[in-house]
Amino acid sequence: MTLEELNVFVTTQANVGMEAYYWWCTGLMIIIHVGFLMYEVGATRMQNAVSSGVKNLLAFAFMIPTFWLFGWWIYLAFPGGFVPIDLEGYGAPWNVSMGPMLSDQATGVFWAAFTLFACTTASIFSGAVIERIRISAFVFLAVVLGSVVWILAASWGWHPDGWLVTGWGFHDVAAAGCVHTVAGLFAFGVLLNLGPRIGKYNDDGSANDLEGHSLVLSFVGLLTLIVGFFGFLGACLIWAGSDFGGWVNIYGAPATLSSFAFNTLMGLAGGMIGAFWWSKGNPFWMMSGGLAGIFICAGGLDIWYPGFAFILGTIAGCVIIPANNWLHNTFKIDDCVGAVSIHGVCGILGMLCVGLFASGFPAAGDIPASNLTGQIVGAIVMALTGFVPGYVISYIMKMAGWLRVPDHVQKAGIDKAELGLQAYNQ
Amino acid sequence: MNTFPGESASWEGVDAYFTWAGSSGMLVLFTLVTACICLGVIIAAARHESETAENNK
Repeated sequence: MTLEELNVFVTTQANVGMEAYYWWCTGLMIIIHVGFLMYEVGATRMQNAVSSGVKNLLAFAFMIPTFWLFGWWIYLAFPGGFVPIDLEGYGAPWNVSMGPMLSDQATGVFWAAFTLFACTTASIFSGAVIERIRISAFVFLAVVLGSVVWILAASWGWHPDGWLVTGWGFHDVAAAGCVHTVAGLFAFGVLLNLGPRIGKYNDDGSANDLEGHSLVLSFVGLLTLIVGFFGFLGACLIWAGSDFGGWVNIYGAPATLSSFAFNTLMGLAGGMIGAFWWSKGNPFWMMSGGLAGIFICAGGLDIWYPGFAFILGTIAGCVIIPANNWLHNTFKIDDCVGAVSIHGVCGILGMLCVGLFASGFPAAGDIPASNLTGQIVGAIVMALTGFVPGYVISYIMKMAGWLRVPDHVQKAGIDKAELGLQAYNQ
Repeated sequence: MNTFPGESASWEGVDAYFTWAGSSGMLVLFTLVTACICLGVIIAAARHESETAENNK
């Protein structure tokens, strides 16, 4: 074998390996949706169990074509802000780049991975609004969130040329901001307009527990969701090939999958233990705490010391319950699964933690080092990018009568009234 | 850009065969049809919800 043949062989194997890696990460991310489906259906009362599942599946189905239509292009075109850069057609659905090309082994698998990131973002919002949002309204809002809003935030802060990155040194390798904070705050904005489920609050302002019909289903769903997140987090790293020394984070700085393994597991364990302690053994909060533990570590998943990730995870597990209670008591929202607290609050904390505990971490090329100011600016931008569209669009939909299931249909049960089905034979 | 089956019948110098999409017009048409399907189904679902809500009063 000549040197040239060897070079071709190595390059080919590296490209095929890269394709296969993101292919399987994408497959693993679909398990997130299995988990979300079980989680949300279990958290729903029996009379609405089917519609909750249908809603969740539709978010997945609609995200794929809409992310192909405009989501991927938004990510590529808007790193500078609101004015698109000239991509010479690349990323637009009518461009040949968005189809099978022998010379391009990267676009399809990266698009697929980002599409599943979008599906995950929409599913985070999904759980918060169960049992009283119209399915069509939910699908529309999910498309806005998954194929426009979060990916615009990703273009700003989760892209090597994003203005938050190049201008402020924003560091958020595993999407604590653009996925979790944006989705959590978008859900918060919608919840303010959507209102609580019938029977959630009494006239005197006190709240009732509207318990889901299967805690076990939610419990197993949450653990399944965590399995899927290994695909999500794995796809947050870039397989850069031999030219760049192997793995780099999404900003181009050296990173390893090992660091993700250490900190994902330690954050998960810390979150579960913290929430177990704070909730006095509630399995729903314990598993949610595990997720929150991962999310609070997500901003610096490539750089934390594992023991520190465990401590951060424990803090997240302890924070989510009082944060959820405060949000409910203050704003009288009805966040059925604690999405605003788990994703929104812990996402913000994750970004701030990088500024507080990892300032000075060097970035690639001309990108400034991590710093507290950049993280604060990034957290504010991510929170507003999620909240403002969620609130404004859902407000317009509310005014148009296209947001909330009418009270009499809620009382009758959405499954029976709209779908003519029931989840279980009684 | 090529179509299959079309004039070209080998992979020599070809990067992709886009079945039924051998022109920019066809690519735009497929894009529009995809968008219309998504939007149309959301509108249809909203109408169904309104009708069932009315019928369940």
